[in-house]
Amino acid sequence: MMLAAAGPVIPDYSAHSSRCVVENRFFCGEWVSHNWGSVLWPALRQHVMLTAIAVAIGFVIAMALALAAHRYRTLERPTLLVTTFLYTIPSLALFELLVAPVGANIYAAEIALVSYTLLILFRNILTGLREVPAEVLDAAEGMGMTRRQALLRVELPLALPAIVAGLRIAVVTIIALATIVYTIYDRGLGVPIHTALGEGPFKTELIAAGGLTVLLALGADGLLVLAQRALTPWTRARAS
Amino acid sequence: MPGTRWSRLRTAGGRAAALFAVSALSVGLAACGSSSSSSSSSSSASSTSTSPASGPGAGKPAVTIGDKNFPEENILGELYAQALQAKGYKINLKPNVGSSEIIYKALQSGQIDMYPEYTGVFLSAVAQQTKLPKSAEEAYKQAKAFAESKGYTMLAYTPFFDSDALAVLPSYATEHKLTSIADLKPLGKKVTLGAAPEFATRFEGLLGLKKEYGVDPTFKPIAIELAYKALESKQVDTQDVFTTDGQLLGDKFKLLSDPKHVFGFQNVAPIVKKSVLSAEGPAFAETVDKVSKLLTIPAIQQMNKAVTIDKQSATSVAAQFLKANGLV
Amino acid sequence: MHEFVEAFKFIGHNGAVSGQSGLPTLSHLALETLRVGAIGVAISIAIAVPLGVWLGHIHRGSFLAINVGNIGRALPSLAVLAIGDAFLGLGLTVVEVALVILAVPPIVTNAYLGVDGVDRDLVDAARGMGMSEGEVLRRVELPLALPLIFAGIRTAAVFVISTTTIASLAGFSGSLGDIIANETSYHFSGVLGAAICVAALALAVEGTLALAQRALTPRGLRAGRESNAKLSVAASANA
Repeated sequence: MMLAAAGPVIPDYSAHSSRCVVENRFFCGEWVSHNWGSVLWPALRQHVMLTAIAVAIGFVIAMALALAAHRYRTLERPTLLVTTFLYTIPSLALFELLVAPVGANIYAAEIALVSYTLLILFRNILTGLREVPAEVLDAAEGMGMTRRQALLRVELPLALPAIVAGLRIAVVTIIALATIVYTIYDRGLGVPIHTALGEGPFKTELIAAGGLTVLLALGADGLLVLAQRALTPWTRARAS
Repeated sequence: MPGTRWSRLRTAGGRAAALFAVSALSVGLAACGSSSSSSSSSSSASSTSTSPASGPGAGKPAVTIGDKNFPEENILGELYAQALQAKGYKINLKPNVGSSEIIYKALQSGQIDMYPEYTGVFLSAVAQQTKLPKSAEEAYKQAKAFAESKGYTMLAYTPFFDSDALAVLPSYATEHKLTSIADLKPLGKKVTLGAAPEFATRFEGLLGLKKEYGVDPTFKPIAIELAYKALESKQVDTQDVFTTDGQLLGDKFKLLSDPKHVFGFQNVAPIVKKSVLSAEGPAFAETVDKVSKLLTIPAIQQMNKAVTIDKQSATSVAAQFLKANGLV
Repeated sequence: MHEFVEAFKFIGHNGAVSGQSGLPTLSHLALETLRVGAIGVAISIAIAVPLGVWLGHIHRGSFLAINVGNIGRALPSLAVLAIGDAFLGLGLTVVEVALVILAVPPIVTNAYLGVDGVDRDLVDAARGMGMSEGEVLRRVELPLALPLIFAGIRTAAVFVISTTTIASLAGFSGSLGDIIANETSYHFSGVLGAAICVAALALAVEGTLALAQRALTPRGLRAGRESNAKLSVAASANA
């Protein structure tokens, strides 16, 4: 059936129209404050979640792999090979490759992001553990520490700077990569970037979303530096 | 670290351990999937607003509405979702699912229960029909018949129609004396036509242009969102656009007429699963039809303009419209 | 698994989709991806290797060389491409500029670390043998830094292939990403087939460069040291 045109009331949308936005000028702060709560903040929060989950899981896996490779040297090469292999696959491709077996959902997104953290974290954790001087370990053994005690009380604390360095690279890398997640799963700062591309491109939204991604990366990096300083006071003492 | 007792252990292990590490990795990866599931459900469907506990929809099963990947569809998705939510229905909105071919697959696989569809596109892209309907009514009837044969149905269609159209710059039209698509024929391959990639393979696209008008241009895939930019920057001579685009409100662009109706009749009708419709009760279809009835060409053009030119969010544009018309 | 079978059929048919004509072939798009990427890597090498090597040679600018790498990593490819598109318009030039912006940092950082890290005693000995600054650079520092310089180029090359495919999301056409961004025409089997090709391409480039790196590494530096060097870079690059 054809519906008779009922003469709808059309709200005056131009009342909220801003010239800056209509002319697509460089950056319209007004638009950002208007759309912060509905567009940018939710995307930012999702982006943080995507990153935090990926780095946390990646860290656990990489730590297990690095401890294994620390103990059994022969594990190093195969692990490096596999993690390099995963790291080399371009993001857009890896997300799609995972859609087939996993589906276009958060699992596919997180598996891909986790796989990008492994090489970085594994290399750094292992380097950190290897750089602990032999004399220190001998001393620990001499003090009667068990293997496990030495690992927890000596090796891991001394490896902490290298581990945090790895975490910093991983976090920054994943924050940048998570902008591609939107291609399979409608989450993160890639979503407003995609919307903005669809509207012209709309410069304000691109700069706001792209800028937030970079600021998030730099902010997270800064927080990790602070965390490392708090956790390893001895390195600061040595540096100053 | 030679000299320590445990370091000797490190040389043991070997191949079996390597295998173990690799399988541990895959187990770990699989595990990470399940461990992150809880967070996915909590953060899903950001556009679901808190629905009132009362109304005809209260207590009915949740319905997932999808929409396609361009602003007009985003607005339509928001309009239907918000109007239903106001009646107490529990609605999840999945925006930007993809083009007809993709969103129909999502409907088939149960990822969504309903989406706003253009009758003509549905006939050609999904029903694979090449015979052109003669009127909007006929297009709707055929589309609905096809949908019903697959376990879906189509609710009432909108007064507005949004067909594809070929736009040119006024200067180009003057230069080549263009008023109708047929006038492109003498230019042959010299004409560069820009359109979304799927245009190349649709009847309401290159296939129909060739068959009905003998027009066979050089094709350049252009993303929907970049259409007007491609035309303005003269990357293309003629560009596939939509008749309801806000950009067409001025006289920066000229549309070529389509006397043979290659681009068909494109009124919007929500396609919905029959089973969902019966589970939700009659008020569901009534609510949706009430919204559709209000969607005239001026209404949708102004809403499109508010989103694509004034950059207001589809969510708030739809909310204002529903409020002004007493539907929320 | 059925989807992968279909994807390999798509690859076997060189990207042909039944009932559709006029689509570019898979091999054409793969070559285009390589071409677009190779131009970007070549320009980046021309800019970044001399800069990094020079900074390393004079042992200055470590802050710049290392931090440029960190900032480069924080730049999301998609945002860089999209912003380039918004201000300069899409096209090969803008894509190449974006590729260079993203590829220069890792090469500069690694070239700097490679040359800066050459044993100072060796350099002094070379000077003592009467070598000129140019000779020191060419005959001592560069050969010893080559593995790290190459590691930087490898990282950049993989990054560039990834970004070239992402460019399709920002509206650039002319890479395998076109297929991934166009499920409508190619169906999921095509998207998956293209994703497999992109992955294979990146792995092939990485593998080829790894072999080339081995061939160029002075014999005395081979065996084991390479991986240690890589390990320590990862640790120190962000220090």
